[in-house]
Amino acid sequence: MKILVAVKQVAALDEDFVIGADGRDVDAEFLIRDLNEWDDFSLEEAVRIKEAAADPVEVVVVSIGPEEADEVLRKCLAKGADRAVRIWDEAVAGSDPIAIARILAAVARQEAPDMLLAGVQSSDHGFASTGIATAGFLGWPHGAVVASLAYTSGEKSAVFRRELEGGLLHQVTIQCPAVLTIQAGINTPRYASLRSIKQAAAKPIDVRNLADVGISAHEVGEQGSLSHVRRMYIPDKGHAQLIEGSAAEQAKRLAGIIRAFKGEA
Amino acid sequence: MARDPKHDVLFQPIKIGPKTLRNRFYQVPHCIGAGSDRPGFQAAHRSIKAEGGWAGINTEYCSIHPESDDTHRLSARIWDEGDVRNLRAMTDYIHKYNSLAGVELWYGGSHAPCMESRATPRGPSQYASEFETLTYCKEMDFDDIAMVQQYYVDAALRSRDAGFDIVYVYGAHSYLPLQFLSPYYNKRKDKYGGSLENRARFWLETLEQVRRAVGHDCAIATRFAVDTLYGDAGVEVENDGIKFVGLADSLVDLWDVDVGDIAEWGEDAGPSRFYQQGHQVPWTRFIKQVSKKPVLGVGRFTDPEKMTEIVTKGIADIIGAARPSISDPWLPKKIEEGRYDDIRVCIGCNVCISRWEIGGPPMICTQNATAGEEYRRGWHPEKFPKKTSDDSILVVGAGPSGSECARVLMERGYTVHLYDTAAKIGGHLNQVTTLPGLGEWSYHRDYRELQIAKLVKKNKQSQVMLGQKPMTADDALAYGAEKIVIATGSSWNSDGTNCLSHDPLPGADASRADQLTPEQVMDGKKPIGKRVMILNADTYFMAPSLAEKLAMAGHEVTLVTGVHLANYMHFTLEYPNMMRRLHELHIKEIHNAFASSIEPGRAQIYDVFGDGSKRIFKGVGKIPRTPNASHRWMEFDSLVLVTGRHSNDSLHRELKARNGEWHKNGVRDVYLIGDAEAPRLIADATFTGQRLAREIEESKAQFPLPYRREVAVWGTSHMPGAEFDLEYKI
Repeated sequence: MKILVAVKQVAALDEDFVIGADGRDVDAEFLIRDLNEWDDFSLEEAVRIKEAAADPVEVVVVSIGPEEADEVLRKCLAKGADRAVRIWDEAVAGSDPIAIARILAAVARQEAPDMLLAGVQSSDHGFASTGIATAGFLGWPHGAVVASLAYTSGEKSAVFRRELEGGLLHQVTIQCPAVLTIQAGINTPRYASLRSIKQAAAKPIDVRNLADVGISAHEVGEQGSLSHVRRMYIPDKGHAQLIEGSAAEQAKRLAGIIRAFKGEA
Repeated sequence: MARDPKHDVLFQPIKIGPKTLRNRFYQVPHCIGAGSDRPGFQAAHRSIKAEGGWAGINTEYCSIHPESDDTHRLSARIWDEGDVRNLRAMTDYIHKYNSLAGVELWYGGSHAPCMESRATPRGPSQYASEFETLTYCKEMDFDDIAMVQQYYVDAALRSRDAGFDIVYVYGAHSYLPLQFLSPYYNKRKDKYGGSLENRARFWLETLEQVRRAVGHDCAIATRFAVDTLYGDAGVEVENDGIKFVGLADSLVDLWDVDVGDIAEWGEDAGPSRFYQQGHQVPWTRFIKQVSKKPVLGVGRFTDPEKMTEIVTKGIADIIGAARPSISDPWLPKKIEEGRYDDIRVCIGCNVCISRWEIGGPPMICTQNATAGEEYRRGWHPEKFPKKTSDDSILVVGAGPSGSECARVLMERGYTVHLYDTAAKIGGHLNQVTTLPGLGEWSYHRDYRELQIAKLVKKNKQSQVMLGQKPMTADDALAYGAEKIVIATGSSWNSDGTNCLSHDPLPGADASRADQLTPEQVMDGKKPIGKRVMILNADTYFMAPSLAEKLAMAGHEVTLVTGVHLANYMHFTLEYPNMMRRLHELHIKEIHNAFASSIEPGRAQIYDVFGDGSKRIFKGVGKIPRTPNASHRWMEFDSLVLVTGRHSNDSLHRELKARNGEWHKNGVRDVYLIGDAEAPRLIADATFTGQRLAREIEESKAQFPLPYRREVAVWGTSHMPGAEFDLEYKI
């Protein structure tokens, strides 16, 4: 029995930041990196399934990223994951969520888990599509925005509830293997003790390249992506202006502004 | 982060007489317990503020002559060459940072009890001090006036020689110049009494003489209580206040203005319980309207927005601060660098002041545990020695001591896990700050919460673990930390154990429906009846605060107190207004009374001094006084037990008992800090956290290292070149 948990090292803005030279992302120097908030909940969910199981369950965390992503994988190992896999190749840089999903699906085929858990979204880019796209590549059923999960290791199906609009819940039974994207708040993630942090520091991380997972370079990166970030920028702040004068003067001025806005002036 | 340009006005230099302040941040004279006798303490505490950006930094009040001796309280003194030598350390170190050093020349009149010098204080008229009720002054004749004025001149010359840039003639807090000015003290019929011009004469002449003596070299300042707050019985700002400023304006280079007197000087150094930032502005704002000279005012200014408003609106030119400069000696530097988040905001608890009021032990600060420790322990408020081992540290308890310990350990570079059952950093402060008037005390928690959040980002191995289950000894041993700090706080006694009997009180039991601990009252979940009795054996704020809270909520409150109610609040200057609050709320006070036993709905009360006054030996098993016959029953609907506290130290005890298991678990040492070691002031709990964090690599770090002492040394004399050995005039 195996659960694969896809995790991401996300970036948060420091107090000050500047946009990088290519105008498409924040200068890396101004980013603070950490485990994606949602992934903390999906890892916890996996570890709880493992702890409740009668038979051995292996929790494997996988991340796609450069060497610095080892930091979040070690955090997951300290919190109860059994094994960590990291996929990287320079060609992966610039991948959109679909290209990342393509790699994750390849890892899932190799690992053959009974369940794949991912966060609903990442806190930095927030596409909320990687997990679902992975299910698409795998041809597995999926459930998004899972707010509670009843799954016993070894069962052929799982029951989960997902959040809908207006406070409604959807209760769904899903066949395994499946991909579930986990909502923040589904549980209370544990903290790692100093002992487990120290033990995790000594554990190996299984680093694989694209060839190892059977993906070619043109399937990932900018080439293999269906969307491309063109520009990242801070929008200009709006300017408020007080229109003064008599009612007629104000109306005339307002009409002029509206015409200018519509491009008629 | 750059500072907001609108705060630039606070960084414009300003000329005061022959000197220039490099910006608008100015530490007004305030006591610290150093005076002239602890020159290292004086030099380090003041110059750290110069390093932190304060442009002007003063001594505390500095006595000009043995006739103005404030013993038991501790002032600076500039009586002789020995004092000049010692104060020179302060001015030298301040000058290293291009700041100006000021001295507040002080003559107390009858407010100075002269208990060391045994001299006779002189005053405008003879009166008994309302501050020191056993002290009368001698009414000055014209010879006396000339003599005392010469004391000021001589002291000013010594001040110049000691390197001071600013010389004060101190006339706030009801000291001598104001005693002449105020009809409350001055009953004279000669040219020094009666009309404003006559009452102002002493002060004006003194300023003239001091100016003539040192005015070319030093800026001449005067500190003036522009309104003594007793209406026309004293000085009123719109009357004598602004008129005096007009008369003296040409003689001063800097006005330092405040309100109030000495007996209730909490009206000046207003505690946050009663006064907010800028509370003196309605009075002090008049001075700029009549003076052509730079004006500075105080009012616990901590917020750069408010400071900017004070300057740009023309209320004052310079921001005076005492308490905010203690809480954060680097306040100006942090504003200058736009590090607004890092400001350690004064909470206005006045625990700093309490030490002067007690009689001069070294000042402490609730927010800044390094205050007063700069010289003797070598602690800098903003700089920390780097860690000297890779040990990781578990801190159990995120209250004042635990959070301070974790913060300083993280500043030193250690990996720290901070653990608490509560959902928020702050420990018991999270409850205390809900009491009436204590909201600003939350800044203590907020500072640590924010700094720790920043530090955790810098070291990903560190973490803050809140809302956790109570930690057991098994958990702690298995945790993987080399060092474990227990900071589990204290709780109020639920069984009535108190400082009078040192035993539980028969029938006291806060698990009963009609009895509560202070925590249960603050928690607000347990129902409280209409008639509340608060049984008190604690001498600080808890009993009066709970009385105020409950009376405001409509309960009929009776305080039964076996100890001096709110005694420590005398020292924090909160006492007068706290008593006014109790009276406004019709809270009944029964003093010198305590309970001997409790039954449902009633307590047996006795007078503490209800036993016989004669002490007679009666043999074993017999009390040597006539038994106390004052016992009577008093009814209540709810009883609040403010009887005492106890440490929550069971985890520490268990870990100590299992020290045989430390080694195999990789634990090198276990420490106990804060209230968990012994219940105490928040300031002292915070200190224990800082202290352990700085000394944690010591072999017995539980116990403080010795500090450098500044004491008189046998074999040398205070006066340069004088004899030190025993000499009798026979």
